[in-house]
Amino acid sequence: MASDDDAPVVALAGLPNVGKSTVFNLLTGLSQHVGNWPGKTIEQKTGVLHDNGLTIQLVDLPGTYSLTANSVEEQIARDYLVKEKPDLVVAVLNAASMERSLYLVAELIELAPRLVIALNMTDVARQEGTKVDAKALEAALNITVVPMVASRNQGVKDLVKVIGQEYSQPTVARVVRHIESGSETEADISHIARLLTDEDTAPYPRHWAATKLLEGDEQINRLLRERVSEARWSEIDSFLKDRESAAIVIAGLRFDWVRKILLTAQEKPPIGQVSITERLDRAATHPLFGLIILLMVMGLAFAVVYGIGVPVQQFLQVSVVERMQALVFGEMTFLPGWLQGLLGDGILGGVGMVLTFVPILFLFFVAWGFLEDVGYTARVAFVTDRYMHAIGLHGKSSLPLMLGFGCNVPAVMGTRIIESRRARLLTVLVAPLIPCTGRMAVIAVIAAALFGGRAILVTVGVIALSLVVLALLGFFLNRFVLGGKRAALMMELPLYHSPSPRTIGLGAWQRTAAFIKRAGTVILIVSIVVWALSYFPGGSIEESYLADIGRWLEPVGKLMGLNWQAMVALLTSFVAKENTIATLGVLLGQNEAGLNEALRAMLTPAAGIAFLVAQVLFVPCAATVACIRQETGSWRWMAFSLGLQLVLSLGLAIVVFQVAKLVGVGV
Amino acid sequence: MGSERVEEYLEAIFKRQAKETPVSTSALAEDLKVSLPAVTDMMKRLQDSGFIEYEPNKGVSLTGEGRQKAVSIVRRHRLWERFLTDILGLKWDKAHEEACRLEHATSPETEDRLASLIGDADTCPHGHPIPDKDGNVPEQGVRPLSDFKSRQKVCISAIAREDAVVLRKVEKLGLKPGSVVSIDSKGSGGSMKLKFGDRKLVVEGDIAEDLLATPFVGEEREVSAEEAVPISALRAGESAVVKSYAGGRGMLGRCLSMGFTPGSQVRMIENYRRGPILVSVCGSEVALGREIAGRIMVSRKRP
Repeated sequence: MASDDDAPVVALAGLPNVGKSTVFNLLTGLSQHVGNWPGKTIEQKTGVLHDNGLTIQLVDLPGTYSLTANSVEEQIARDYLVKEKPDLVVAVLNAASMERSLYLVAELIELAPRLVIALNMTDVARQEGTKVDAKALEAALNITVVPMVASRNQGVKDLVKVIGQEYSQPTVARVVRHIESGSETEADISHIARLLTDEDTAPYPRHWAATKLLEGDEQINRLLRERVSEARWSEIDSFLKDRESAAIVIAGLRFDWVRKILLTAQEKPPIGQVSITERLDRAATHPLFGLIILLMVMGLAFAVVYGIGVPVQQFLQVSVVERMQALVFGEMTFLPGWLQGLLGDGILGGVGMVLTFVPILFLFFVAWGFLEDVGYTARVAFVTDRYMHAIGLHGKSSLPLMLGFGCNVPAVMGTRIIESRRARLLTVLVAPLIPCTGRMAVIAVIAAALFGGRAILVTVGVIALSLVVLALLGFFLNRFVLGGKRAALMMELPLYHSPSPRTIGLGAWQRTAAFIKRAGTVILIVSIVVWALSYFPGGSIEESYLADIGRWLEPVGKLMGLNWQAMVALLTSFVAKENTIATLGVLLGQNEAGLNEALRAMLTPAAGIAFLVAQVLFVPCAATVACIRQETGSWRWMAFSLGLQLVLSLGLAIVVFQVAKLVGVGV
Repeated sequence: MGSERVEEYLEAIFKRQAKETPVSTSALAEDLKVSLPAVTDMMKRLQDSGFIEYEPNKGVSLTGEGRQKAVSIVRRHRLWERFLTDILGLKWDKAHEEACRLEHATSPETEDRLASLIGDADTCPHGHPIPDKDGNVPEQGVRPLSDFKSRQKVCISAIAREDAVVLRKVEKLGLKPGSVVSIDSKGSGGSMKLKFGDRKLVVEGDIAEDLLATPFVGEEREVSAEEAVPISALRAGESAVVKSYAGGRGMLGRCLSMGFTPGSQVRMIENYRRGPILVSVCGSEVALGREIAGRIMVSRKRP
């Protein structure tokens, strides 16, 4: 609708882990758009709310603890408030963590003239023994407060009503009473503000900019240093140098304000009472028991995901994709041969095969969403921190890496939760070494064909190898490429709470939808290109460009005991990892039973292992590569990642085969 | 001249570099208590070995290699000082002298054992950061006490010059890293009147220059002689009050918005030797890496 663009804009602000996205989802339903903030790789969600003739545009600001530019998220949030001037800001607060939530409100009231408070997670607060009196809070703040339990869909109607009221009866804009008024800092802030002009600080309010200068905000500092004349700046700068502890004083003032409000509005459990979360965490964050719990949780999650997902995938592959392929080649003989090939081998064999993995992925995302929603994933980051330390990462990196076991695409995108750019880049570079569902499927089929009873051992071995390579790579990249300085860990562990099926379902759906969208674009195009290479000019794969490339690569293949067919199979895994099997099927024999025998004839055990090693470490699939380019924002790092894995996979496979040959095992 | 002498020089240059780069040869002569010609002579030698860059009228600065060597000496020196004071109970000045000798005869293995025996301590007894194994020296963001103004409250973080006379004087005053003092007034010759808990102290001008401090902000009633320790020194279950933040401003903003402001209550939930710690602050749990945990200074609450 064209008129939506003129509709009033409401921005949602809040801390991380306060259920802000859940509130956003409830307000917009599925009519939302997920993109990036301009120039940043931080997710931006926008949507439209229709209610009773009311149309409102909603913007979900990144979760932040403050509005000082300590992180990109904070910079985005405040720049949006200042530059875009939303008509109304809804501050989503966590009733179980009021001090920190109100600290943000103390900053918001300076930049958002119209503010409404959504007091979320009142159920979690109650469970922890904390009671927040919404009426008292409203009176103390002089801001409308709506109590909510967003995960149970409670209070949403009230919030919509309040948003509507704010428009129908425009209240007088609040006079901002600055947090420092009456304190010694007031004079300091006014002094700096007097040294500046409104043009200097535009678009930021002058008083606010002066406060931020005093707080040591680097972005504002840089901005003003450029704009203000040297003489004036040196005066400001020396004034600031004498007040280095002002940041602490100002933060203290904000917390004093917060505590004063909470005196009347909050009832805390008696001191000394150990919360449920803390009791659970004694085990869940213990260096040893925590790790055991983590392994058990992950084991269970994978068992459920694969237990349900694999039969569904098999069904889709055999009964849908393969049947449709049979239809194309058997019944549609009226089509020219190349079109049959394009439909059957190119599209169905490429994209179709990739899509059969969607149910497994979806289940994986559900399991992940569940762990995220109950609050467990933050504990995973905590427990793994000491190990990630060794490879130059910190605990938060382990979350996207675990997502990588499902699919490398969300893993690379998931690195956005890591604040430090260096740690993020490192995580992006090692993430493709996590064996994803697709790669595991290939390993499972080939290991079963070649090694029979010992297949499990080989599979586990190959996966373990891939993880060892990941750790070593992380260590070396950190040491020698990225310069070895690590960002410090600082992370809030949210309170445990019961999961909301709605949040989990929607999250899993959004992640899966992003994957399907990719399958429809990048994977489709690459599938068609690779198919064309495998069909033209001869009309069959044996006489195609791809076969030419494979034969040209055969000397390299020989070093690891592989013939050109195996090299081609490796190459086609670039489209999607699962393609390796499909390609081998085309090149060797059509049905599955035939494939097993053909594989045994083609690969000696040593060559088989070399092939699996090459496959598991090979360059990531096209979709992941596209993602790496997007997330690093650099062609150079993308090329680096590609080259690195190419060298690693072929190099290690050659070593494996040559050593086996030397020792005389399995040749 | 032996390698011991070379190490002494590198160490002295490294320490001086914190204040001025390039370092003047006369400052080195003063620090090392040797004649100026001897220093110039040594500088040429060190330059030939590739440890320093030396420009006769400007001064010297360490090369990458020189810095690496110097940092490793400094690390051993400060580890030994910790060991000598904390475990053997030596006095500050004596510990410094002993460490000067022991640092040159320490194998990497002994160094590792010392580090693990000392465990969590990340500064020497005089408050200087112990560089880690990779040669990173935590930044402290400190200024001499003499730079602060009257009526400012500061937290002493280190003693700049590890000279026996200076150390003895400071020890006698009862000041140590972590002590919180307020500046009463400034007298002639840079001397300063301080309030330290219930006591009043007078610090001579040269000592005031040698005491390094950070601004301190906290509630009035809590300013006392009681010791501030890094939050990572708390054991699981212990409660404390945040006193100050030592070190650069890098993470200060984030610490503040997470609720680590002077006066706020914290309780340690998990603290195992290595790895991150888990602290309860502002009603929820926050995980902190050791690097930051070492900078948040707290004082224990008496049960």
